[in-house]
Amino acid sequence: QFLPSDPPPPRRPVQYAEQHESEEERQFRKVFQQLAGDDMEVSPSELMNILNKIVCRHGDLKTDGFSMESCRSMVAVMDSDSTGKLGFHEFKYLWNSIKKWQGVYKQYDADRSGTIGALELPGAFQAAGFPLNDQLYQMIIRRYSDEDGNMDFDNYIGCLVRLDAMCRAFQTLDKDKNGTIKVDIKEWLQLTMYS
Amino acid sequence: MSGVASKLQRDRARAAGVGTNGNAVKYMNQDFDCLRNECLQAGKLFTDETFPALASSLGFDELGPNSSKTHGVSWKRPTELCSSPQFIVGGASRTDICQGALGDCWLLAAIASLTLNEDVLARVVPSGQSFKENYAGIFHFQFWQFGEWVDVVIDDRLPTRNGKLLFVHSAEGSEFWSALLEKAYAKVNSSYEALSGGSTTEGFEDFTGGIAENHDLKKPHPQLFKIIQKALRRGSLLGCSIDITSSAETEAVTSQKLVKGHAYSITAADEVEYQGQQEKLIRIRNPWGQVEWTGPWSDNSQQWSSTSEADRTRLSNKSEDGEFWMSFSDFLRHYSRVEICNLTPDVLTSDEYNKWELSKYEGNWRSGSTAGGCRNYSDTFWSNPQFVLKLEDVDDDPDDGEDGCTVLVGLIQKNRRKYRKMGEDMHTIGFAIYEVPEEYAGKRNVHLSKNFFLRNQSKARSETFVNLREVCSRFKLPPGEYLVVPSTFEPHKNGDFCLRVFSEKQAETQELDNEVQAKLDEVEITEGDVDDKFRKLFSNLAGQDSEISAFELRNILNKVVSKRSEIKTDGFSLETCRTMVNLLDKDGTGKLGMVEFKILWTKIEGYLNIYRNKDVDHSGTMSSHEMRVAIEEAGFTLNNVLLQSVVARYSEADLTVDFDNFVGCLVRLETMFKLFKSIDTEKSGSVEFTLLAWMTFTMI
Repeated sequence: QFLPSDPPPPRRPVQYAEQHESEEERQFRKVFQQLAGDDMEVSPSELMNILNKIVCRHGDLKTDGFSMESCRSMVAVMDSDSTGKLGFHEFKYLWNSIKKWQGVYKQYDADRSGTIGALELPGAFQAAGFPLNDQLYQMIIRRYSDEDGNMDFDNYIGCLVRLDAMCRAFQTLDKDKNGTIKVDIKEWLQLTMYS
Repeated sequence: MSGVASKLQRDRARAAGVGTNGNAVKYMNQDFDCLRNECLQAGKLFTDETFPALASSLGFDELGPNSSKTHGVSWKRPTELCSSPQFIVGGASRTDICQGALGDCWLLAAIASLTLNEDVLARVVPSGQSFKENYAGIFHFQFWQFGEWVDVVIDDRLPTRNGKLLFVHSAEGSEFWSALLEKAYAKVNSSYEALSGGSTTEGFEDFTGGIAENHDLKKPHPQLFKIIQKALRRGSLLGCSIDITSSAETEAVTSQKLVKGHAYSITAADEVEYQGQQEKLIRIRNPWGQVEWTGPWSDNSQQWSSTSEADRTRLSNKSEDGEFWMSFSDFLRHYSRVEICNLTPDVLTSDEYNKWELSKYEGNWRSGSTAGGCRNYSDTFWSNPQFVLKLEDVDDDPDDGEDGCTVLVGLIQKNRRKYRKMGEDMHTIGFAIYEVPEEYAGKRNVHLSKNFFLRNQSKARSETFVNLREVCSRFKLPPGEYLVVPSTFEPHKNGDFCLRVFSEKQAETQELDNEVQAKLDEVEITEGDVDDKFRKLFSNLAGQDSEISAFELRNILNKVVSKRSEIKTDGFSLETCRTMVNLLDKDGTGKLGMVEFKILWTKIEGYLNIYRNKDVDHSGTMSSHEMRVAIEEAGFTLNNVLLQSVVARYSEADLTVDFDNFVGCLVRLETMFKLFKSIDTEKSGSVEFTLLAWMTFTMI
């Protein structure tokens, strides 16, 4: 079974958050305010700049940089009101996930190539909370890895963000927890076009 | 947080009836019964983590932490304040509500009007709450918030100073429903301080779910008397007041004993025969229960002696109870405004009322797709959400003797207060009403185009565009079909709204929106259709394996588009190219053969033509507002919600769509339509997924 990361707590009134946050969270809020600008929302291009600034500080993560397309997709799967931007809570959730998955990436890059090869993939995804079957691994390699089957850091993150979001989407819609969901064409397109 | 899925789940819950008064949304997911049972079993009193007994819940500025006004405040439960606290004694009455150190008299006026109508009060204050039976320090109240009812849980720790309640309290000091109600309302608005400086109209609406109209008596509606009479018959809440010119005038009493700056209720409107003419009279109540008007038609005035015995018995009113009659002309002369809160049909359980018919619709304005701005912006106005309103039957007993259909149209913007901290405030909003042309009569699955609005004048509109939470206007229209277009004043403003139509007779309101469908002409190409030139090109591109991978496709496409100066693109991404290969790859190799490549090429050429036609200013890009039309030309019709998603996903920050994103969008649309069709083998219109199937299809 899939183990998506814990859903974030329900939103609390702003002043409650400010009153109760730890020093780390306070720092994070400051960083967010700088990144997000006046509208307090992170757009795909802002996200791309942040992520690329960070990965270039890590020499052991191989990447050709996060593309605009994959940042758009990451924003879309997290955004619930189709404004095309992420608010503080969504961004923080994304941020924490990326931090966690980055640790997994380094740990499972057994040959220190800087990428996750086809053989390293199942271990890494399992550790990230997504034990998949072979068919899904094959599909993911076709979709996210290069011609030699190696997945670099930006594709790895893009893939996990999507996997996590789709998994949570399923759980959200499976209200009665019977293991199946039913969607009509409109819902299907809303879920898949905005992702 | 689960993105679109959580929105869909909310929509599904609503469709199943969540959000009505009988089945309110649980605010912050707190369930009163569960929480109370937990506390009773654990033998402890409830403490609400989400609205803590801390300075931050009082306010942010004047009542902010460390402010002088909050000095010495401590939070206490009613059981710590008096020996036998009561929740509600002998029904709610106006003496239960005395203002505290907070400028929320508007709220008190609204709460006071609640006590006049048991049906209405019972919806806000659910029964079965007390300090004795099952007491666990927890209470709940229900409010109407932007189209739905929410159930709000609080603990009973109240802010006090020197053993006295800081804010609303009852005259006796031992009855607590009003103080707890105020706390719950403060929680919804994030702090007590957020309650100061609101309007009674907002309070009226949040406690009833009704729609409030304001009438300025300096320029009264010509049929106001009739409107008031009908409102009374409908069980509406009616208030009236006399404006003050300075705060010193508050509650000043005039020589004829009218109180200025004070909220009165209107309780009846009638006519009597007086000196050979029909005299219009209105009955008003001072909520103090005393201090009555002393002019003509007051309790013991001589005018009554010249009326018929029957009229006197029917209307006379002699006791000093705060209630009195006056002539309608005196009323217009002395009073400044009338507020009518029109109630929804579900509030009024009794059959004696004539109920309004209500229709309600929710929608969004999204920059780049459905935030078109007002009529002044003709390029984008048409892209706003559109609603059709069908009026069939004329009013009984028309106000002015002329046949017509009376409707109240209210447009409310949602959740704007929340954004104040981010420097955003209310949008300037309004709406326009058009007659639906004959050729569109009865149609619902269309979105009227730019040309329609260029050629047609509006039939009616909201009085102004204004930056209030709600705009509401009353219209009388001939039977027919009308189009309501709600908008912000300027285009490109993100916002969510709820449009409500109250009509005297049954009316049909629907969003005028496209049906979601795809008409895809399959490109039929066989090996023989491929000419030598293309064949040669392909073999050059494909290399030794005679197949084109997503990586090769990206190089090819980017080479081609970089040569064309008339289209703007920042290059095709690998993701887009993978989607294209997936769409056409029939044999599952992950690569395209020659015929597959030719089909793709034909498609792209078609997209290029559409794109160039939509680029009206030859900038090389297309405006995102043109997406609706461009997508339609490519064979897809989408509804507003999908269009908003597509624009949010594929447009640039400057609200243009470049060529690679345009192609990416269309290819993905086609893929998703086809995928759905292939799974929906029985053509039932919906598809069931297990988790594994879901992941397999959505990770593509």
